[in-house]
Amino acid sequence: MSGRKKTLLKVIILGDSGVGKTSLMQQFVNNKFSHQYKATIGADFLTKEITIDSNKQVTLQIWDTAGQERFQSLGVAFYRGADCCVLCYDVTNEKSLNNLTSWKDEFLVQSNVSNPQDFPFIIIGNKIDVDDSKKIPSLQKKLQNITNNQLGGLNYPVFETSAKDAINVESAFEVIAKMALQQEELNDANGNDVSDDYNDAINIHLESESSGCAC
Amino acid sequence: MSFRPLSPPESPTANNSNNHNQSMSRSSESDLSVDTDIIIGHLDPNFGSETRIENPKTPSSHQRNASSYSRNYSLLDFYGLESPSGDRESEPLIDASIMKGLDDLEFKELSHANTIFAKSVVPSPETEASVRENYIQPTVSENIEKILNSPYDRYGFRKSSTLHNITHDHYNEWFSDYSQYALRRKKKWHILMKNNGLHLEQEDSIPTRFPPKSDKVKKLIRQGIPAEWRGSAWFFYAGGHERLNKHIGVYSQIVRDTRDIHNKDTEVIERDLHRTFPDNIYFNSQITSPVNSSSTTLATDTSAAPPETPMIKSLRRVLTAFAHYQPQIGYCQSLNFLAGLLLLFMEEERAFWMLVILTERIIPKVHSANLEGVHTDQGVLMLCIKEYIPQLWAILGKNFEGEALSEDKILTRLPPVTLVTSSWFMSLFVGILPIETTLRVWDILWYESSKTIFRFSLTICKMCLENPDFQASRNNNKGGAEMDQIELFQFLQNFPKTILDPNLLVDNCFKKIGGYGFGSLSQDEINKCREFVSKQRAKLDHKKNNNIAAEMTDEERRTLISSSDGTFADDQSIHDVYGFHRSIMSGVIWNKSISNKMKRSFVKRKTSR
Repeated sequence: MSGRKKTLLKVIILGDSGVGKTSLMQQFVNNKFSHQYKATIGADFLTKEITIDSNKQVTLQIWDTAGQERFQSLGVAFYRGADCCVLCYDVTNEKSLNNLTSWKDEFLVQSNVSNPQDFPFIIIGNKIDVDDSKKIPSLQKKLQNITNNQLGGLNYPVFETSAKDAINVESAFEVIAKMALQQEELNDANGNDVSDDYNDAINIHLESESSGCAC
Repeated sequence: MSFRPLSPPESPTANNSNNHNQSMSRSSESDLSVDTDIIIGHLDPNFGSETRIENPKTPSSHQRNASSYSRNYSLLDFYGLESPSGDRESEPLIDASIMKGLDDLEFKELSHANTIFAKSVVPSPETEASVRENYIQPTVSENIEKILNSPYDRYGFRKSSTLHNITHDHYNEWFSDYSQYALRRKKKWHILMKNNGLHLEQEDSIPTRFPPKSDKVKKLIRQGIPAEWRGSAWFFYAGGHERLNKHIGVYSQIVRDTRDIHNKDTEVIERDLHRTFPDNIYFNSQITSPVNSSSTTLATDTSAAPPETPMIKSLRRVLTAFAHYQPQIGYCQSLNFLAGLLLLFMEEERAFWMLVILTERIIPKVHSANLEGVHTDQGVLMLCIKEYIPQLWAILGKNFEGEALSEDKILTRLPPVTLVTSSWFMSLFVGILPIETTLRVWDILWYESSKTIFRFSLTICKMCLENPDFQASRNNNKGGAEMDQIELFQFLQNFPKTILDPNLLVDNCFKKIGGYGFGSLSQDEINKCREFVSKQRAKLDHKKNNNIAAEMTDEERRTLISSSDGTFADDQSIHDVYGFHRSIMSGVIWNKSISNKMKRSFVKRKTSR
């Protein structure tokens, strides 16, 4: 976006509480896993510099969010300007899978991206290290069903990961980085024309207030 | 007054509603039947020897004496204003009996996670009857020595925490000084108690009544309450006794009602129980290899669910009961931290009511379904920062795109940094500041109420701004407004964890000379500011709902605005709300300065349109 000196890619991780968003971020950025992560309140982020296609240096700014629904009202500020959105579920928790659609919709509403139709989303199913017996039965079919019918039939990349055992985390984020870079370039090409309806709406009404708001 | 020896517990499922008609002295038994199944803790073999109990219970009963709850004390009584001495005598019963357990717990057991809970093994949760252990060791020299040699601090938290980047040695270096300070403070407290006619039976007794509020008491509170007195003092000054005695048996009833409940709230609660204090031995029995401070993995096995500690069970009951009792809040993440910390210092019924007091009175609506209170309080905090720390506002009063936030946007679109500061308000610094620093803030919070959160938030912000590391990283930053923001965001997130010395924070906050003097930010101003912000937000919401965003014609908009002008802010009402009548700091009369600035900017914009 305007004023950026280096390529900074903003990635938002969303998903139900407890699916492992913090763990994924920590595993990717710090190569560590702990059982000691506390529930995330508000939001948190970490940055990591990576090289894409062996020549492009980018800084990934990864935002970890609180999973509980009510925290979405705080998300307004940081969804904006996102270059990629990671939708997470827990392969042992069917509800978290079913909620992917609402996370996507929520993101699109709040982030106000210019290209909702083809904004880069990626799906991560975490906790594949867990015993098979605990996993969602016929997961692939259900996931297929969700992507086809609810996520608009768009072929979002899907990764199954284990943040605990560091399986697929690196490769997932590599794809995330590439997708984000593409989005960023697209935005730049479009003259950074992110519509600002929400803000404008507020402004208009405040500005036309008679004596107004003291602050 | 008379307390009968307690009879064996009735079945926990017995309906105790019949018992409520019993005389006061007998009602202890009815409550007891309820409490037996909700208080899980360590069996205390010396329970009956508690000196403050006039009619000692037989050691075999192992009951928490619930009788003090069933007595209908008046508020006056609890503030020690006018009450028959007999009632005063009776009140310490509960605490004294609970607190007694701590003498029996060898501190060294803290280093053996598996043995510490051995005592609490109970044959069946339905019939278990036990006394809640006190988790906090008295502030005495012997204990300090033990703490220095233990991998855990006096609250059961691991000293070297990956969450706080504090090493064992670093902790000990600080604690060996701070513990001496704590010992000296405790002496002062003893003198204060004595001067107020509140005699302690023994050096180690935990008072249940505290002196009425005064400057002297406030000063001592700000210097820190002895750790083992905290639960009792917080409860006293927050008005816990009053609340509890108006709702005798209510908590037990709710616990019974919610025992087998499964809903959206309990689902999230279950997920959060083990994510509350994973670095605390009372919450996580599986903390391993504590000596190896470089080890980041503390629990061993994921697939097997860790055995539940009594504390986890208490936490579940309190959070579930709370969600049931306050349906407009339900369960909100971060309540687990608040309840968890309370449970380290008091038994669960008290922790429950403290949570109620907190969410009703101190930080209202902060945890409600739409987090309206968070938005309100963050708006207030931003206004305060803008006024008192303008250098900081110069950085954070922008969006990520680097546009300066116009005044009207402060309240509708909070600066991104409020994502950090909102967690300060929701968790009340638990997990954000190191534990002792958090507790010192809590000491003050329960005594001085919500202004405390704002004062300390401002103090942290200012300390952050003045930190040489932050200044250096700013100077090196060539990334423009967005990177400035990001830098600040990250710094505000990590910096508070490093404030290991509570006195540094407290002194910075309150000291007029050499400190920031935020102690002069009054509750009255906070209240007014909260009212102002929430009115403004309501007004904006109202308009947002009435207008379909920007898709109105100018005419429609004008009509709407003129129609709403009558109901909402005219000049006078805004000034009333915002009319802070006092100059607060360094001669800044911020009510006028802000409101005038605002008005000017609105006038300018209107004419330019």
